[in-house]
Amino acid sequence: MSGEESMEKHEQPDRGRLLNQVLRLLLGAVFLYASYDKILHPQDFARAVYNYQILPDTLVNVTALILPWLELLLGVCLVAGWWLPGAAMLSTGLMIVFICALIFNQIRGLDIHCGCFSAGINEGPADLWTISRDVIFLMMSAGLTYRIFCKTHVRRQVVSING
Amino acid sequence: MFREKCKQALWQIPVLIVMAGLVALCVNYLRSDGIALVGDWSVDKRFPDTAGAGMVIDLEEAGRLFEQDAATFLDARPHDQYALGHIRGALSIPWQEVDRYFNEAVDRLKAGRVMITYCDGETCDLSHELALFLKDMGFKNVHVLVNGWTVWQQAGLPTQKEE
Repeated sequence: MSGEESMEKHEQPDRGRLLNQVLRLLLGAVFLYASYDKILHPQDFARAVYNYQILPDTLVNVTALILPWLELLLGVCLVAGWWLPGAAMLSTGLMIVFICALIFNQIRGLDIHCGCFSAGINEGPADLWTISRDVIFLMMSAGLTYRIFCKTHVRRQVVSING
Repeated sequence: MFREKCKQALWQIPVLIVMAGLVALCVNYLRSDGIALVGDWSVDKRFPDTAGAGMVIDLEEAGRLFEQDAATFLDARPHDQYALGHIRGALSIPWQEVDRYFNEAVDRLKAGRVMITYCDGETCDLSHELALFLKDMGFKNVHVLVNGWTVWQQAGLPTQKEE
């Protein structure tokens, strides 16, 4: 193996690790930011959940109570790098659920306030921009999940090549 | 490696959800503004005034007041939707630009008269927010016609477009 090739192989995992860190820090920050206002204003967020008209009335409040804390825990795990397989997969799952709910209500023409980052209605109605934003977060989350589950072998291979 | 990550995710995800649930329920129990685990989402409870009393007026009563010219109707939807069609004689006070439109309309609002706010959709909050704002501004007799634009049209009651 030439010296240059060896350098490239050395840089690859570093770059990969950096990308992983950037993705999880960004996603973690998104979840932390998203949870904050909803935890402070449970009644308003319950209203936002109700407005989606997807869950039965009896499940609205429980969902509105638990979801922000789940987002907070996910945010902490992603930022701190704890329990990454579970946190990344759960974050991808949540993003898929959020996007499906938004698209479902866009299709049936329900004018809702998404309750994405705050509990109140000052965000303005959910629209295609809201969905696009969530799709970007989903891509980040799916990318991170893929890297956590499938990319860690790169480092081992490099170690074994060089070791 | 992949299988190992899957195993980790399989126990981490339920643990994260259970942890979020426990923290959410404990915090909700301890905080002074905690919400009921099963909420009452009946119409009257969804549109209360600041004292907790219902603000909803039914279509029959709203139609009767309209015929007697005993109420002012206020359209809380964005102005472009108002322009496409609204309850005949209604004033446009879009909630998103309430300060501007309220100042324009305030001369035409009489303090003692019945005010009926409406928007569109069962879960639309704009009319409720506008009604609370009007109460805050000192108007006493303010009501919300839930899903107003849709039910008004369905009942074949008089409408008009902006000239």
